[in-house]
Amino acid sequence: MTTSPSDMIRVALVGCGQIADAHLQEIRKIPSAETVAVCDVHQDFADQAAARFEVPRAFDDMQRMLSEASPDVVHLTTPAHTHCRLATELLQAGVHVYVEKPFTVDVREAEAVLEAAHAEDRSVCLGHDQLFDPSWVQCRAMVQAGAVGDVTHVESVLGYPFSGQFGRQVATDRNHWVRKLPGGLFQNTISHPLYRITEFLTDDRPALHANWFAGSADVSIPTELVAHFRGEQVTGNLLFSTRIEPQRITRVYGTHGALEVDLDAQLVRRSRQNRLPGAFEKLEMPLRHCREATGNLCRNVWRFLKSDIHYFAGMRCLFEEFYASVRSGSPPPIPYEGMLRVTRLMEAMFEQCREREEAGDTAPRHSQERIKVESDHTIKSDQRSNQRPVTTNRDESRELQEAWS
Amino acid sequence: MSALVTGATGFLGRRLVRLLREDGLQVTCLVRPSSDIEPLRQAVGDALWSGVDVRTVELMDENGCREALLGCSVVYHLAAGLSGSTSTLFLNSVIPTRRLMAASVSAGVQRFVLVSSLGVYGTQTLPPGTVLDERSPVDPHPHLRDPYTFSKVVQERVAWDAYKASGLPLVVVRPGVIIGPGRGVLSSRVGLRLGPLMVRMGGGQQLPYTYVDNCAAAVRQAGLAERAEGQVFNVVDDDLPTAKELLRLCRKAGAGVKSAWVPRPLVQPLAGAYEWYHHWSRGQLPGVITRYRTAAMWKPLQYVNDKAKAGLPWRPEVPFDEAFRRSLTIAPAIG
Repeated sequence: MTTSPSDMIRVALVGCGQIADAHLQEIRKIPSAETVAVCDVHQDFADQAAARFEVPRAFDDMQRMLSEASPDVVHLTTPAHTHCRLATELLQAGVHVYVEKPFTVDVREAEAVLEAAHAEDRSVCLGHDQLFDPSWVQCRAMVQAGAVGDVTHVESVLGYPFSGQFGRQVATDRNHWVRKLPGGLFQNTISHPLYRITEFLTDDRPALHANWFAGSADVSIPTELVAHFRGEQVTGNLLFSTRIEPQRITRVYGTHGALEVDLDAQLVRRSRQNRLPGAFEKLEMPLRHCREATGNLCRNVWRFLKSDIHYFAGMRCLFEEFYASVRSGSPPPIPYEGMLRVTRLMEAMFEQCREREEAGDTAPRHSQERIKVESDHTIKSDQRSNQRPVTTNRDESRELQEAWS
Repeated sequence: MSALVTGATGFLGRRLVRLLREDGLQVTCLVRPSSDIEPLRQAVGDALWSGVDVRTVELMDENGCREALLGCSVVYHLAAGLSGSTSTLFLNSVIPTRRLMAASVSAGVQRFVLVSSLGVYGTQTLPPGTVLDERSPVDPHPHLRDPYTFSKVVQERVAWDAYKASGLPLVVVRPGVIIGPGRGVLSSRVGLRLGPLMVRMGGGQQLPYTYVDNCAAAVRQAGLAERAEGQVFNVVDDDLPTAKELLRLCRKAGAGVKSAWVPRPLVQPLAGAYEWYHHWSRGQLPGVITRYRTAAMWKPLQYVNDKAKAGLPWRPEVPFDEAFRRSLTIAPAIG
């Protein structure tokens, strides 16, 4: 089926850095969309993107691009600290805007963009594209079908070694724009694992405990972040680490089991308690794993044969849904409340991390030091309760005993 | 006389700085805040180090560049991105070149040497066996090549624009693949690296190699030679081996290289099949192998250095056998 010219969405892109390649590549796959222009403050950047993705016009001035190329939708793939200003300008110019994550630097900016969208009657879509990834869609469907019962806890891991291309730039360039964000390195990347948690942890303001620290002595910026969330029904854990291999894994725990989604491997694994008694239990689990692995292998082989395995598949689906919503005038695929909630949580996390940093309470201490502090505290409380401290760690227990003696 | 060198802490740059110091020039080195100076200091040596002024200046900082250029008569621009996405390479090569050239024009430097790459030639249209020299055409469609080549072609274009518009006294050096201690000898000109396996593409193609010390000497000359402005010099060594000969030399030297072979007549059809699959599958496999790139990379051509020898003048002092031995002996691993 061909799309008539009047149905075609005219797309432009502002900011021709690394992530722009993924956008331009995925837009090309959508029959009802055409990229009419790219723009960057460096004309060389705009030119290279235009040449490689066969975009007819390349600009170094956004306003000129808007007036000469007349796009319906503009993708904003500039650094995060420019999102608020540029998105507002674009909305005021009458175009719909797709903003690459993170949405804005803080909640105030996020609200300003959404207000502009409301005032101009234009749509904004945020790049929470992994919610549209095939493996995440499969996980969501399984949860909705009751595969794990009621969701009780979600755990999200993002492995982001500094050896990667972008990480290397941030690590070596002290003036890199990412370092200037309130959430530093995390602000640019953490929304992906976070919105995978908030899909199930829907509280507006869950209780939060967050901490960041430098993963090794030779880095000058925080590189590791852990956060715990407690909502009414669901709790969540988030781990961002530069010390583990690249990975995007989320585990959704429920009252009757758990699902593990590996977005890189495009796998969903299910675990639940064994049903068989005694020694048979030891056979049941590997058999179940074997059956599940065979199913996953067959599914991925079939998808490969259909040429359906693409790293940015979620991005393309989200683009398609956004364009469809623009065409029909329906609400955008990522609800505004969801955008605000993730932005609010990020802001709160970074604020708490900074507070800990200012209080000198971020870096993990050596075990001896930690035990001493804990034992001092424990002794005081134990003097009141007249009970010995309980610990699960044998070494800690020994050290505490020494402290007691 | 004094010189300014960008990329001075790099593989080629530190050897160039030493040569310039041996000539008695004062050398200003522009380095990034993250650069490790120690390899440069070791390469130059304590005796010559006093004439080296290391300045931490980002090349994007045009004013900083202008300040560093005060009193410098020759600029050697070696800094460039070597890997990464196209935008990263443009950010590290093209934009800084623009800024540095603008600063050099306003500072009135007497010579600007740009170290480009032999990869900029558009060899796709040349018949096999053609002699590739400085008159050969630059690739007219560099965006169809790999990101590095694309960035080098545009970087050169920026330089030539400045030469034409502002009269910047430009000399362009186009080295082949630079080999040397720590870098090994196997490159993508031999074939495709698949994990531990080197897939040799054809094998009869001559390899456009230059040993790092030879290359540094040529670059030095480009800054000093008379009547070199507005000219291009290809830099490759003499007695270049073919891909097949190089792998044989590696095995003979005891460096175990696992290799497979794709006969020359099959290279283009296989590249075409891969390219077709890439398009058909809408990018399920990345479009890294295309007929266009394959023709540019593995076509058998003859490489010559006559112009550099006569015009700079220059001679590759380290013969290939010795260059091979040194690269192999000190390198931690081949490749």
